[in-house]
Amino acid sequence: MKDNNIDHIIELSNELRWQIGDEFHDNLTESIYADAAEIVKDSVKTQDGEKRFRLDAKIDKIVTSKTWGFPIMFLILGTVLWLTIVGANYPSSLLASLLLDTVHPILRSGADSVQMPWWLSGFLIDGVYLAVAWVIAVMLPPMAIFFPMFTLLEDFGYLPRVAFNLDSLFNKSGAHGKQALTMSMGFGCNAAGVVATRIIDSPRERLIAIITNNFSLCNGRWPTQILIATIFIGAVVPKSLSSFASLLAVIGIAVLGMAFMFGVSWALSKTVLRGEVSTFNLELPPYRPPRFWKTIYTSLIDRTAIVLWRAIVFAAPAGAVIWLISNIHVGGDETIAAWLINGMDGFGFLLGLNGVILLAYIVAIPANEIVIPTILMLTVMVTGIGGGAGAGVMFELDSINATGDILKAGGWTLLTAINLMLFSLLHNPCSTTIYTIYKETNSVKWTTVASVMPVILGFVVTFLVAQIWRLIF
Amino acid sequence: METYSPIFALVIFFIAVALLYVLFRPVKGWFWIIKKAFHTNEKVIIEDVLKQLYHFETSKNKVDMKTLVQVLDFKHADIVEAIKKMTINDLIYSESDVLKLTEEGRDYALRIVRVHRLWERYLADKTGIHKKEWHDRAESMEHRLSHDEAEELAAHLGHPKFDPHGDPIPTKTGKMASVHGVELPLLPIGSVGKITHIEDEPEVIYKQILAEHIYMGSMLKVIENNATRIVFESEGEVFKLAPIVAANLTVALIEKEVVLEDNVARLSSLKINETAKILGISRENRGESRRRLLDLGFVKGSSVSIDLLNPLGNPNAYLIKGTSIALRKDQASKILIKKD
Amino acid sequence: METNVKSACETCGLYNKAGLKKLGIHTDNFDFVVALAGNPNTGKSTVFNALTGLKQHTGNWPGKTVTRAEGGFEYNTQKYKLVDLPGTYSLLSTSEDEETARDFILFGKPDVTVIVADANRLERNLNLVLQILEITDKAVLCLNLMDEAERNKVDIDIRTLSRDLGIPVVPTSARFNRGIPELIQTISEIASGKIVCKPHRIKNVPKNIEKAVKTLTENIEKEFPNIPNSRWIAFRLLEGDKQIINALRTGEFI
Repeated sequence: MKDNNIDHIIELSNELRWQIGDEFHDNLTESIYADAAEIVKDSVKTQDGEKRFRLDAKIDKIVTSKTWGFPIMFLILGTVLWLTIVGANYPSSLLASLLLDTVHPILRSGADSVQMPWWLSGFLIDGVYLAVAWVIAVMLPPMAIFFPMFTLLEDFGYLPRVAFNLDSLFNKSGAHGKQALTMSMGFGCNAAGVVATRIIDSPRERLIAIITNNFSLCNGRWPTQILIATIFIGAVVPKSLSSFASLLAVIGIAVLGMAFMFGVSWALSKTVLRGEVSTFNLELPPYRPPRFWKTIYTSLIDRTAIVLWRAIVFAAPAGAVIWLISNIHVGGDETIAAWLINGMDGFGFLLGLNGVILLAYIVAIPANEIVIPTILMLTVMVTGIGGGAGAGVMFELDSINATGDILKAGGWTLLTAINLMLFSLLHNPCSTTIYTIYKETNSVKWTTVASVMPVILGFVVTFLVAQIWRLIF
Repeated sequence: METYSPIFALVIFFIAVALLYVLFRPVKGWFWIIKKAFHTNEKVIIEDVLKQLYHFETSKNKVDMKTLVQVLDFKHADIVEAIKKMTINDLIYSESDVLKLTEEGRDYALRIVRVHRLWERYLADKTGIHKKEWHDRAESMEHRLSHDEAEELAAHLGHPKFDPHGDPIPTKTGKMASVHGVELPLLPIGSVGKITHIEDEPEVIYKQILAEHIYMGSMLKVIENNATRIVFESEGEVFKLAPIVAANLTVALIEKEVVLEDNVARLSSLKINETAKILGISRENRGESRRRLLDLGFVKGSSVSIDLLNPLGNPNAYLIKGTSIALRKDQASKILIKKD
Repeated sequence: METNVKSACETCGLYNKAGLKKLGIHTDNFDFVVALAGNPNTGKSTVFNALTGLKQHTGNWPGKTVTRAEGGFEYNTQKYKLVDLPGTYSLLSTSEDEETARDFILFGKPDVTVIVADANRLERNLNLVLQILEITDKAVLCLNLMDEAERNKVDIDIRTLSRDLGIPVVPTSARFNRGIPELIQTISEIASGKIVCKPHRIKNVPKNIEKAVKTLTENIEKEFPNIPNSRWIAFRLLEGDKQIINALRTGEFI
């Protein structure tokens, strides 16, 4: 009986909807706003009408002007990145000397004194502990600097203006202007950048932003770029220009990443994610002075800590794997690592890389921070040259020259260096990011696309560079 | 690595890329062609025949086997085979070579038309797929959606009356709203009307209309009408069309003495330091996007001005009800204003 | 001056400061549920943090709170659970945020709904306020950012506004904790039924729609007497809202 009545109501509503036509929603919204206008007229008195408030308008005029808009934007982003990279140096080396040079030996001798079997202490201390320590030392300081600064800009209200300025570029690649923000966030951490795509409210554009976020060079990869550029690129120019040249090379890689981001966004929106931005609107909120300490506190708690924790969770097993493959032997006295490196050397050569680099990128999927230490350890292992701390023990050297010597002994050339820089930009996202992509999209398909597509691009690009390089030189 | 040479590697690479391109390039890739050929089955042919017959019937044209074969993009033999089956199943009958729909056949045809138009409406309201692709996508979807799925879709869209081109969507029971109006070239100079339908076939002409940025639901006033061209004014802009293109626009004459409001313009034409009142949002802006604009305060009577010009030219930020909101040019062109 | 939000309330007997305890996220065994709704960028999260003592971060960026945050406070020995809904401009569209907010106010049946509005942009904010008032009649308008409004010389007659809307209006500056005590007091009075609201209902509806709405409303009320939002349900049915149709079938919102 009751169901009948309800069906009747629904039938009736269908009938009435047919009668009043398609403009119902428009009419309703207009009615509501008409009411709102009446109420406001009744109770609100303003002095200067609906004009926007003076200071806001003034700031906006400058930060979106033809002359100053872009310089200011680059200056701010550049400053944030510069402060992050330079400012992180000191605390990073402090953490490294504490965790790697002080705590690690203590743990080792502690393990020896309780007569822990070598394989257990190696697995736990040289494998798991070292990887975690490395991730913390490399990752924590830049994130603790980058995220609060970014959050301050966000709270102040500047970021929507960046989206506003850049939107037409994104428009041309079929994406949403707010992707400018998630992209910048990605310079800090891709996982955080992926989470930040929530601000894009249409699903297609959000997916594009998620898939292409990996093209922002993240904090874990900046140090690799800088180190390799300093050793190899800086060396080919006169000494007085070397730091300038290596800086230029790193910036070039970051800009190339943005170019790939636009290109891939464009390609996606022409093929599998066909379409145009369906609902674009961008509110430019009023500026609000951020509350400095509170912002710093919350951004440390909300962003840095969460991302760091996830990275640690993923890095620990990676450390274990690295130690295991360097210490377990297959067949004769070849370790799994050496066996894998031999197997991949041919393919690595085609890409202008080598087996060591490829293996390092496979085991370092969990965290880009441990790529360089892993490469060094593996290079020492396969070349048999002196140095290093033993099989499966990641290490880094204090002097850049010493690092360069080891790499050169491993057969590295300028081509290897350039291609490593390219491959560091164009490879699968780290597992923290992959996991985050899965959580945000809830789709295995898109997570796979986002993970595999950059590696394929990396293979293609390094392959082409290698062949052309060899043709020319 | 004795056989290795960079040139050799590059050649292999480019051959592989070329192969992939030939196989998988959009639409014309072999993979897609083969896939499509595999999917063309009898059901598709029958449904397309029914639909064509229905369209001929509504335009009061007679159709025989020959015309049908010309219009449809299938093999001759397949069509003949399908027609035979349809006759046996009482979907069609022929009267001295002219093919006609039975009552049952018409019902079936209407269901297909319903799904087609619903799907176009879905694409328009819920996705960002470009207009020029709606038709083709709906063409393939109409054969795939089951009856229940179509009902689900209709409910999801809120049982719409018209598709995005202005064609009525038949209801479950075959009821259909009627389109008011006549073809644009039939209107005398000086008449005022509203675009109620834009025909999306043939594609060449439809693309021309799209390129002109002529929108559904726009008011227009005919300025010139002769054998070579038709000129009309709409939303502050002047459009010139060849009669054959104009014939694809259906316009409902406004009978009452509604004077076409002066100074009507599109928001995209607003200059800095000008203010205007919003008259409404063009019918062309649909679905989510339309609702969002309404919610943001782009409703009739709101005053609007440019808040910020973009350094790259697009989008500009508009000041509406005290807040600055950036809209892209194509969106702003679908908001009608009256300058103060 | 009406906009002066500093008040003597903290010292008066009505407001019992000792009775207030911020509970953070510990919200077991609450007595009342309070929903917090509002446009993006109105300082809604600041209000949330001020009420609960939590430090939830949300940027100056529309549409930041995507998931619902929950917190609590205790006032005069009664425990309140506070649910922070996503900031939305409206409840009429179908975006994820709006559905979350709408569903909670409709199906979650909060004891009080606090609507946070930006005092500088009241007209725009009223769009959401008026929609919420169609759904629930236990609401309070928290007129936030009064400090900015003062600076911008926006003068709001609180009493008139409250009369027009039919619900209590509390001016606040959540950043500086101003007006929060009054807000808590008002919430508790609405929750306990001391204040009864007669919310504004949308008036300027075109005749043909009003007629259709009336027909539907009568039918709905025949079926479900005593529901406060029959008119709003009628609006949604005319819009063809599938979720509401389903809810009507299952009787979920009663």
